[in-house]
Amino acid sequence: MAQYVLMLLENEDWVQKQSRDEKERAYAPINKWWEELNTKGIVKGGEELRPKETATTVRRQNGTMKVTEGPFIESKEHVGGFIMIDVPDLDAAISIAKSWPGGDVEVRPIVVH
Amino acid sequence: MAKYAFLFIDEGVDYQGSPTPEQQKVYADIFKWFETNGGRIVDGGAELQPIRTATTIRTRGDKRVVLDGPFIEAKESVGGFTIFDLESKEEAVALAKTWPGHGVEIRQVGDHMEAR
Repeated sequence: MAQYVLMLLENEDWVQKQSRDEKERAYAPINKWWEELNTKGIVKGGEELRPKETATTVRRQNGTMKVTEGPFIESKEHVGGFIMIDVPDLDAAISIAKSWPGGDVEVRPIVVH
Repeated sequence: MAKYAFLFIDEGVDYQGSPTPEQQKVYADIFKWFETNGGRIVDGGAELQPIRTATTIRTRGDKRVVLDGPFIEAKESVGGFTIFDLESKEEAVALAKTWPGHGVEIRQVGDHMEAR
């Protein structure tokens, strides 16, 4: 078995376009998906992140750590959450990512120490 | 107390070859950093393999397409994450400033109802 992270991406266009009701409705299939995944026992953890407006980035510049408001990259897409899964291979991870009812997903294998 | 996700940001690091002594030192410092701050960790999270191992699944019309590579090509990328239980954003920023690696994006964690 191998571990993968699914980085669930949040698209700003979508977030701005949807009403609060529409966003609430979007969570119904997400909650169902999450429950189904959990019962399969392959989820090793995961978190939903608060909106990117809450992000603060601390990075090394010329040897000192500088604090800036916002996510590390200015983009329409941001990491909105992540899920760690334990599945046989990348194909299995991709097939789970494809079934995610939300937006786009980046799949990355985890370093095993 | 509140949960904060630290997204560790790399700057083009890829240990495909042998790490340089400088990289080895950063790695050792990071190991120590996790030991020192272990008491405040609620979920160890994960260290991710380099962006060349990334696959992105996108929606095109009503189809899902599988693409090689990360969701965004940039100098910086997410290299891992850990969840901490901290008093405040200030504590999170102070802790992030001690990170021996390149950078940290701090994001508060919470369910969607709570976040609005």
